[in-house]
Amino acid sequence: MSLAALKSVIDAISAPTISFTILTVAFPFFFPPTDWFEKIHRKLGFWRLWTKKGGIIGLLLITAFFVLGYFDKNFNITLTKPDNFPIVLLIYSMFFYIWLGMYKAYQNDERLDAGLKPNEYNDPDDKVLVWPDLVYIEFIALILFQVFLIVWSILVAAPIEEPANPAATPNPSKAPWYFLGLQEMLVYFDPWLAGVVFPTMIILGLMAIPYMDINKKGDGYYTFKERRVGIFIFMYGWIVLWLFLIVIGTFFRGPNWNFFGPFEYWDTHKVVALNNVNLSELFWVKLLAKGLPSNILIRESLGFIAVFVYLFVLPVILIKTKLKGTYETYGPTRFVSLMIFGLGMLALPIKMYLRWAINLKYIVAIPEWFFNI
Amino acid sequence: MFKNDERYWDINQLNKWFGISSLIFLISMVWVFIDDNDDEFKIYQKEFRKLQIEITQKNLDKELGAVKDSREKFEERLVATQEIYSSHANEVASIEKALSDLQGKFYKANMNYQGQKAKVDEIKFLVESENVHENSHEKSHRDNYNKALVKLDGLKLTKENYEIEIKDNEEKLKGLNNELKKSQEELDFILRDVTIADGKLISLDRSRMSFLNRIGDIVRDLPILDFMDPYYKVNQIVVKDVHYDVNFTTMPVVDRCTSCHLEISNPDNIDAEQPFTTHPDLDLYLTSSSPHPLESFGCTSCHAGRSRGTSFVSSAHTPNSTEQKHDWEEKHDWEKIHHWMQPMFPKRYTQASCFKCHMNTSDLAGAEKLNLGLTLVDKAGCNSCHVAGNWRSSGKTGPDLRKINEKLKPDWVAKWIKNPRSFRYNTRMPSIFEQDNQTTEKIAKRNINEIASITHYLFNNKHLDNGKTINKYLGNPQNGEKIFQTVGCMGCHISETDASLAPSPTTFSNLTKLQGPNLVGMGSKVSAEWLYNWLKNPHDYMASTRMPNLRLSDQEAKDLTAFLLDSRIYEFDKLETLELDTIVLNELTVDWLRKMNPEKFAVAKASKMSTKEKLAFVGEKSIRHYGCFGCHNIDGFMDAKPIGTEITYQGSKTLDKLDFGLLHDIEHTNFAWIENKLRTPRIYDRGKESDPLDLLKMPNFYFTEDEIEAITTAILAFNTDGVGKDLLAHENLPKYNKDGHRLVKKYNCQGCHLIENRGGQLVEQIGPAEYGPPNLNTEGKKANPNWLLSFFNKPITIRPNIQVRMPSFHQINDKEWDTIIKYFQGIDDENIGYRADYIVNEKSTEFHAGEKLHELGACNNCHFYGTEFPIQTASTWAANLAMTKVRLNPDWVVEWLREPQDIMPGTKMPAPYIPTSDILDVDDAEATWGNNLVKLSGNQDAMLEGLRDYLWTIDGKIDISQEVKDYFEENGYDFSDADDEDEWDEEDW
Repeated sequence: MSLAALKSVIDAISAPTISFTILTVAFPFFFPPTDWFEKIHRKLGFWRLWTKKGGIIGLLLITAFFVLGYFDKNFNITLTKPDNFPIVLLIYSMFFYIWLGMYKAYQNDERLDAGLKPNEYNDPDDKVLVWPDLVYIEFIALILFQVFLIVWSILVAAPIEEPANPAATPNPSKAPWYFLGLQEMLVYFDPWLAGVVFPTMIILGLMAIPYMDINKKGDGYYTFKERRVGIFIFMYGWIVLWLFLIVIGTFFRGPNWNFFGPFEYWDTHKVVALNNVNLSELFWVKLLAKGLPSNILIRESLGFIAVFVYLFVLPVILIKTKLKGTYETYGPTRFVSLMIFGLGMLALPIKMYLRWAINLKYIVAIPEWFFNI
Repeated sequence: MFKNDERYWDINQLNKWFGISSLIFLISMVWVFIDDNDDEFKIYQKEFRKLQIEITQKNLDKELGAVKDSREKFEERLVATQEIYSSHANEVASIEKALSDLQGKFYKANMNYQGQKAKVDEIKFLVESENVHENSHEKSHRDNYNKALVKLDGLKLTKENYEIEIKDNEEKLKGLNNELKKSQEELDFILRDVTIADGKLISLDRSRMSFLNRIGDIVRDLPILDFMDPYYKVNQIVVKDVHYDVNFTTMPVVDRCTSCHLEISNPDNIDAEQPFTTHPDLDLYLTSSSPHPLESFGCTSCHAGRSRGTSFVSSAHTPNSTEQKHDWEEKHDWEKIHHWMQPMFPKRYTQASCFKCHMNTSDLAGAEKLNLGLTLVDKAGCNSCHVAGNWRSSGKTGPDLRKINEKLKPDWVAKWIKNPRSFRYNTRMPSIFEQDNQTTEKIAKRNINEIASITHYLFNNKHLDNGKTINKYLGNPQNGEKIFQTVGCMGCHISETDASLAPSPTTFSNLTKLQGPNLVGMGSKVSAEWLYNWLKNPHDYMASTRMPNLRLSDQEAKDLTAFLLDSRIYEFDKLETLELDTIVLNELTVDWLRKMNPEKFAVAKASKMSTKEKLAFVGEKSIRHYGCFGCHNIDGFMDAKPIGTEITYQGSKTLDKLDFGLLHDIEHTNFAWIENKLRTPRIYDRGKESDPLDLLKMPNFYFTEDEIEAITTAILAFNTDGVGKDLLAHENLPKYNKDGHRLVKKYNCQGCHLIENRGGQLVEQIGPAEYGPPNLNTEGKKANPNWLLSFFNKPITIRPNIQVRMPSFHQINDKEWDTIIKYFQGIDDENIGYRADYIVNEKSTEFHAGEKLHELGACNNCHFYGTEFPIQTASTWAANLAMTKVRLNPDWVVEWLREPQDIMPGTKMPAPYIPTSDILDVDDAEATWGNNLVKLSGNQDAMLEGLRDYLWTIDGKIDISQEVKDYFEENGYDFSDADDEDEWDEEDW
């Protein structure tokens, strides 16, 4: 396969629809939450990622991608932008630390299976006194990090742009890198949801984790098996719904917020048809070939029902069926919180797929009240 | 008690790590300092310092060489005087001793005196208050006061005695070492250039400094300490009248360019390499005596760029060519700074900056490219379609088409519109069709039908009457050619069939030749009847034409008609008539109807229209679509708005507002965009799938590269850069100066006349300057404004010996004439509207002296006196002196008489002979010169004024046009041997 063909394949699979699907589908096979996934995880050898060899190959693959990108005329422009340097760092560091955690967890899991205590239990090298050891180590780390920041600032000039002019905004107008995940959400959600409700829920949800998590196993040592569902859910939210969206926003969103593969030229003239329709239009106009009812509540009734079912009926059904055990263990308060944050998180991929599959704009669309879901 | 014995980590190991990381930290901090202080400008300054040392060393050597001999001489003299001085050593020593004693004594005496004076003042106050409050019971202070005053006098005397003694001794000493001092001063004077160069060298060259100075020279540039007085520092000029726009506010420009372009106004560096070379035009720029001193204008107000940048890249240099770009990339790691809105102009466009202060003229000295650009914007009519707020169109550039039915045939018009260049290779009419984006068969077919419709519209409802080509209107073509060459047609027209010989419209002089069309192929275009009538009176056919009336006689007009009609373009004649395709015409009709109606209605409506109706309909739409009315008056479009984008601020448009289409290989700069647009106006349609009516439609003017560069300069000049009121040069000039200048250009006065030292190409074509149209330098001072207006309105013969005629510009109204006259006066700082009659005192000595001079001068050899003809032959004839008093300004006449060549180089008018006082002092002078001249005893002014006064008393008929005309009709006009006759010099006179 020629290099150009490889590049066009990478371009093609980087499209959010494909890459997001691949990540979502592959995810449980790398972080298996159930026995079934675990079985395939073992059978297909995905577990090897969490070995030393796997880690090195992972790092090499990432490096190969960036090297390929560096020598590509188009990718070079986005890759070497001073603004995007943190994202390159982020990809490396996130991969490394997730791998490190999983590597250690897998080692411990094996030990636990063999009836041994986890590594951390009897590793005196890892024991640290706050004073003087930890403070000292942190102080050294601080100095080294300071050096890193200084060198960075010497070598790469601050990416300052022209004086802000409301009449001439840059295209694409990108948020700072740490907000690019949110900006990506704006493609699918109304600003009050993507910009206000979701960020609030993310913060509250992270704060709530210790109160919802009553699994006492894994305290003080790395383990995957003993808390695989928790790790799976968290990792999916963190890697796929946050980091991956930042990477997309940084490298793959070009002029007019259109999607561009990493090796594609950012052509300002690229046009993508965005014929998005609301659920009410799908139902009343496309299905029934009637006009929209003039009463807003009737018009949006289907959407309201869908949201109601998703938020209130679905949990009840789950309590009765699949999550009966969970409900009993966690009790009503924890379970409700879990449901609120869990369903909120799940709403993002659901909405993304609805958009891709049926061009759905809003489930509930009441622009008259500035209320869209 | 805390016991610190539990340890899990090896503290020594941690200490080691701490040591290593601290060391790395220290290194990074050092790096910070180095990075902070190795600015690019310092590298240049160090290099420049070396260069300066070299230059100064050379200077020093040169100076030393120059004074070598005299230096020895003066040094010897100094030694000699030193010897004499030392022979008086004892005397000097004793005087010096006495002086030092005296000075000590004086010190004390002066102190006593000052002390007593303070006391006196204190008592004086007490005495004065006593004088006012008489009832005081206390003892009076008056006695004390008097005593104190006596004492003060005594002390003053003592002090002054010492002063006198000191002075005496000093004089004595001075007398002794006077010679010595003088020879020292003389030596210093000889060596002053050497001393200056040496001093400079010592301050520059570290190796010549004393040890302490050397340390100081290093320390002053150390980091942090360099805040005080560094040698290597950022030089900056704050230009208070030029502001940089940061969108919400503006900031005065701070130019740091001179941090690297060191001593740019020092002419010594002319041979140095960039960035140290001298500015190429110090007469106009930078120096304090130039009109644009560095302190008030800085650099970026002309060159643009990022004024605060102190490195090559950060100051936003823009390469002038691809080679330079590659060169810079190699040498300076050059890259475009994307975030700076106003990158430097590439060198070739710097003149665009002149416009922001000089908005009033397209004849700015030193801005030839901008001048050409602005002129072309006018002439090509760019500003007819594109509004340019600061350079507005001064009228339609193309002919009025409302009477086209009297002049042209529809067939000719259609072929012309299709491709004007197939008829006239250098026409100003741009090509709307057969362009880059019209090459598909479909579009080409549509275009043919659009042309047919436009032609139809132009002739619609008009009776076609082109006139006849019959002998009645035709004379002798050979005579016609002569008339074409002599009467003044060539002031504005050429008649050149060979494209390679045609003047290129890139110089001022050539542009004036191309004011009107190149008169070729008239035989293929118009009838003799029409042309004859047009030549007789252009305004009859087109009131707004710029073509003036040359007052041709019937025979002249016939001859000229015959000459012009002789020329035909046979290839154009052979071109096929455009064929109308009713299907395509219907498609066009429907397309236009669809714009306002649903398709169904459009089709229905079109089907009800006859072919003629369709033609008229599509014609009207097409004219509006292509904007023909921008340059032509067309019925139905008299109030139409121009179709082009406004270009008032085109030069400041940001790149995202310029549509480069789908092209990536054109450099993304505003000037490249404009250049390409001018070169290939439809270029940005390449690759696009546009609806036929959405295609780009700017026509192609086939500009040459020089023209493109000039027009681009002008368009870049149309920008938002504002400067403070103080810098606006044109604000200092009254409005009529700009308007007058534009009018003079519009009517091409400079095709025939020299105005503001430009123009007058016709004079060269005619031959000796004497027979060409006069130069109009000093016209504002020269002519009486009232007379000038009457002359403009009805020109009469002034110079009877010339054939070329001042035409009648009936299309210029009085207001415009007034503006033109004021403009002439403005050039000469002559701000007067009306002038009283000049009253001559006929009894004065001066008057009689003038009379005598006039008699001696034999003015009547050449000049007319009313209807009285001159003595000499027609080739030397000169103006009617009876006209002088109404026509000329008395002050100017004196200047003219003083030295005519100064005012009008090449004139045959000799300066009248004015006797000097030497000649007039001779005993028998009175016999030759008359007593009045002798009385003036060589006062030149008085004599010239007297002569002027005499001229004012010459009476006679003023307008002798008819008499002159009759004479030439009878005797013919043939000066073939005129030049030989004219060879006379002042002795003969």
